Amino acid sequence: MQLDRTPCVLGEEARSLVKEAKILVVGAGGIGCEVLKNLALSGFQDIEIIDLDTIDVSNLNRQFLFRKEHVGKPKAVVARETILGYNPDIKVKAYHDSITSQEYGVNFFKQFSLVLNALDNRAARNHVNRMCLAADIPLIESGTAGYSGQVELIKKGVTQCYECQPKPTQKTYPGCTIRNTPSEPVHCIVWAKHLFNQLFGEEDPDQDVSPDSEDPEAKTEDGHSMTDTGNVKRISTRQWAQEIDYNPTQLFNKFFFEDIEYLLKMENLWKSRKPPVPIKWEEATTDGEKTEVKDDDNIKNTDMKVWSINKCAQVFAKTVDVLKKELSGRNFLVWDKDDQPGMDFVTACANIRSHIFSIQMQSKFSTKSIAGSIIPAIATANAIVAGLVVLHAFRALQEQYERCSAVYLRRKSKFSKFVLAADNELQKANPVCYVCSPKPFVNVFVNTNTMTVKEFENEILKKQLNMIAPDVVLDGKFVVVISSEEGETQANDNKTLVEMSVVEGTVLKCDDFLQNYELQIAVNHYEAKEKDDPLFKVAVNPEDLKAKEDIKNGGANGKKEENHDEDSDDEPTIVENPPEDPQEGSSSKRRKLNPPEDSDDDLIVLDEIIE
Amino acid sequence: MASPPPKSPEQTEKSKKYDRQLRLWGDHGQVLLENAKVCLINATTLGAEILKSLILPGIGAFTIVDGETVTEEDTGSNFFLDYDSVGMPRARVATQSLLELNADVHGDYIDETPEHILSHTQNFFNKFNIVIGTSLPEKVLIPLSKHLWEANVPLIVCRSIGFLGYIRLQVKEHTVIEAHPDNENPDLRLINPWPELKVHLEKTDISKLDNKERSHVPALTILYYFIKKFQEHNNGALPRSRSDKDEIRKMIQESAVCDENGVQILEDNFQEAIHLVNIGINPQIIPTQLKKILEDDCCTHLTQDSSPFWIMCAGLRELVQAEESLPVRGTLPDMASDSGSYIALQQIYQKKALSQSEFVYRRVCQIVTDLGIQQDIISEQEVKLFCKHCSELYVMRGSCIADEYEKNSPDLSVYLEDPDSLMFSYVVLRGLERFLGEYNVYPGHLDDQVEPDVLKLKIITGKLLSEWRCTQILRDERVHEVCRYGGAELHSVSAVLGGIAAHEAIKLLTHQYKPLNNTFIYDAITSSSATYTL
Repeated sequence: MQLDRTPCVLGEEARSLVKEAKILVVGAGGIGCEVLKNLALSGFQDIEIIDLDTIDVSNLNRQFLFRKEHVGKPKAVVARETILGYNPDIKVKAYHDSITSQEYGVNFFKQFSLVLNALDNRAARNHVNRMCLAADIPLIESGTAGYSGQVELIKKGVTQCYECQPKPTQKTYPGCTIRNTPSEPVHCIVWAKHLFNQLFGEEDPDQDVSPDSEDPEAKTEDGHSMTDTGNVKRISTRQWAQEIDYNPTQLFNKFFFEDIEYLLKMENLWKSRKPPVPIKWEEATTDGEKTEVKDDDNIKNTDMKVWSINKCAQVFAKTVDVLKKELSGRNFLVWDKDDQPGMDFVTACANIRSHIFSIQMQSKFSTKSIAGSIIPAIATANAIVAGLVVLHAFRALQEQYERCSAVYLRRKSKFSKFVLAADNELQKANPVCYVCSPKPFVNVFVNTNTMTVKEFENEILKKQLNMIAPDVVLDGKFVVVISSEEGETQANDNKTLVEMSVVEGTVLKCDDFLQNYELQIAVNHYEAKEKDDPLFKVAVNPEDLKAKEDIKNGGANGKKEENHDEDSDDEPTIVENPPEDPQEGSSSKRRKLNPPEDSDDDLIVLDEIIE
Repeated sequence: MASPPPKSPEQTEKSKKYDRQLRLWGDHGQVLLENAKVCLINATTLGAEILKSLILPGIGAFTIVDGETVTEEDTGSNFFLDYDSVGMPRARVATQSLLELNADVHGDYIDETPEHILSHTQNFFNKFNIVIGTSLPEKVLIPLSKHLWEANVPLIVCRSIGFLGYIRLQVKEHTVIEAHPDNENPDLRLINPWPELKVHLEKTDISKLDNKERSHVPALTILYYFIKKFQEHNNGALPRSRSDKDEIRKMIQESAVCDENGVQILEDNFQEAIHLVNIGINPQIIPTQLKKILEDDCCTHLTQDSSPFWIMCAGLRELVQAEESLPVRGTLPDMASDSGSYIALQQIYQKKALSQSEFVYRRVCQIVTDLGIQQDIISEQEVKLFCKHCSELYVMRGSCIADEYEKNSPDLSVYLEDPDSLMFSYVVLRGLERFLGEYNVYPGHLDDQVEPDVLKLKIITGKLLSEWRCTQILRDERVHEVCRYGGAELHSVSAVLGGIAAHEAIKLLTHQYKPLNNTFIYDAITSSSATYTL
């Protein structure tokens, strides 16, 4: 006998809507598992779930539809099986696939009554946002990060879209900081990850680890750069490493002695910086425990201890050996924070480099937080947010959109009585949003003399503007610059923008067929001057960029003034964003909180994990 | 508090599984969680959801106490009761399916009502670290609350009905060492440094450094130098006001020197010193709430039953009396500097922190000996952690639910002035509990009884309000709404509440983060929530 699970507490209308609704859940991770359970227990009969991921051990502390024996299997498939095991009467369809793939076009989205996002990255969120706008299907967006979380409705013409507010760009570091002049642990960790990819991973020319002689700061007064002799080897690092059969001593001496010696020759770099101290294998391995920064804390776990240089060198040698073996017979390895040899390798290399540059060394635990951009994640926050998602779903199905204002989960602090707080009203769309406004328009600032068409496509259109398969024509001239048709504009790939007549003032018409998204791009010629300047910029209104820079230059060192004299905390504050999108993915574009009366500022706990 | 067991050097399977949460409460929090025994009374949807969120992060063991059998209605909203189990003991079925969530957790059940256990096995509940009760009728809640209050076992009472939710924490005394404050400033002591630090900082004369040396000095040394300069200019007065701080910033800014091309540059470390001005020159004072803790009776009058927390407080108190300041935290923020100078500075802070925590530890050992209690009750590591976090110590003293119901009529009038106050939901829920006690059924549970039940509930809430001397009245629609629910749980509301209640349980078990104090009301219709101290 089939049991009617539609809650009687819901009104008559809501109950019939729930029974007929077809729901798409994007993501079967922490929030996704909870959302699926809530849907199945709320009378929903027709659910589809899509997730690209497979199950990892570190998911098991919260993604409760999975067990140990499921590790390695596709999340969507296992989630479906577990839910059906509980309630075989409902229809659940699982896709082990990426939501950004071409099969899931506007028509795919149009078949649903509602889309629920339970994603962990911004690119996919942006994409689903556009698909739902194009299909005009309401979307409920959610995310958690540690104890915090939020839920909001996105509905074309009613609310703002996911991309209405410019989000802080994900933090990237200038190449020369990574290759030449690191000053923070994170720079060394990024370098170590690049080194992993150079030696074992998929090669990426942007991830070069050797000294960069084109560093503008390294240039001498008469403008000459240091492209002399040195050890600029014409063969790739990988090739060389293979030739020496990954001899750890030789590798060590190249990356930590020879390359550093070479860096020291760029004297300009060390005028107002402390020069690095190269270290040889022999020295590192006899150095004993002398250099160990003893973090005598309360935790016994070795992951919490900072390794000595000697230990780093030993780990380096050992992991190079292990990884070399793993690599044999394969094209490349993929670095994963939860894969032990890879994580140990990065910890060791980052610390050796930190030592060389007099940067504080880090424990493996901290290194992992930074390297993997790990956001803490717990079952409780996901349970709360997923419950809120489905409660929003009831209202959205009844088109009671005005009752779907954003809800925030916050860690209680001494200034607040709130645990859950809802916005007073829906957030209105940004009239000049480059995604959801009637005529999307954006300014890009690029060096038209040096940027190639391929770079423009990858860095600007795909990475910055989140298009999947763009077609680009010169406005009014019918010149096709980029085509989504494979090979059609390959000839243009390596041309610079100037060569394609894309210069200051050019307007490009971009069209992403999959996203049903048309965007006009005004091209501005721009050259990065200072070392820390970004290589390119994207903004609807050039004034916005200026305002941002003023803030950046205004406060000491660009950080926000911290004026926490006693009680000034209880004002709504904008919370800093984590470096990358959170694990369960807080949709944290705007964490400005507008609770009814008092409020607090609640920092994302990220600060606490990177001690 | 037990000290963490030794771990093998390689990452264990367990630490991989719990990696993402260890980043919130650490290994020591996890150990407390793994040693915890939790009792759930009534495996309702809400009860099962709470337990789920405790089993996943790995509590040690749970026991379900429930005398009911599974009904069809249960299976409609409870993920852990399937349709085939209708008619079987709810405690058993729920235990079995919850155990599947985590192989590291032990679980058992007692197929008896809580009333039965309370009257037959007096101290049954005392062995738990926390008891969680859902859907308790008043006649069970009152004796349970009294019993656990006496036994000093924390109790969390929760209710989920329709779109309404309620969570109440009853804990006699709860102490927190790691409150994880929102923003923590570094503990630098540049105003009033201890002698070793003073000697070290005064070794450097910023004005006599060459360009290379300048770029190697840690920001702390720079800042200290300019504080001294400021004092010289101001007859020894310490910088206090905002304009004083601005003056120091200006002095640092103006100390910039020229490179060989004549370009004035302010090095990174000097920039950092400017940045530290705001947080780095506040005189170290003992926070009021800490002073209160150190003067608390529990701290000044120790007994054999005193908890490690209070014994450590007593040790800390002696240090504060001797040195007139708190232990130094002993950690420094990262700063641009050559590693030699940085490490030298760091060691001075670490050494001080260590000697202070050793002092406290010695006092603690003495106190423990004097009290004649077990020597190893407090480890040196625990004292270290305690000293490191001493400025954020927190003590919460709760109230007994039985008192709230029987003796101290809560003063709700102030809240009820606001017609939208969630306190009205509290009134409705209290009325509902009394209704349950009187009629043994939820109002509106039977379809043909909705109207009469509305009337009965109206009378009950009216009586309650007049007992509490409140002149406000409950709007009819609130009573109608609750009767419409007929006692039904909405799964998603229970999911939200389950997460919140489980999280409070984790705070209590790990002694980290400040718990709710003490009543939480959630209204899923308006998505609003409120916390009251009753």
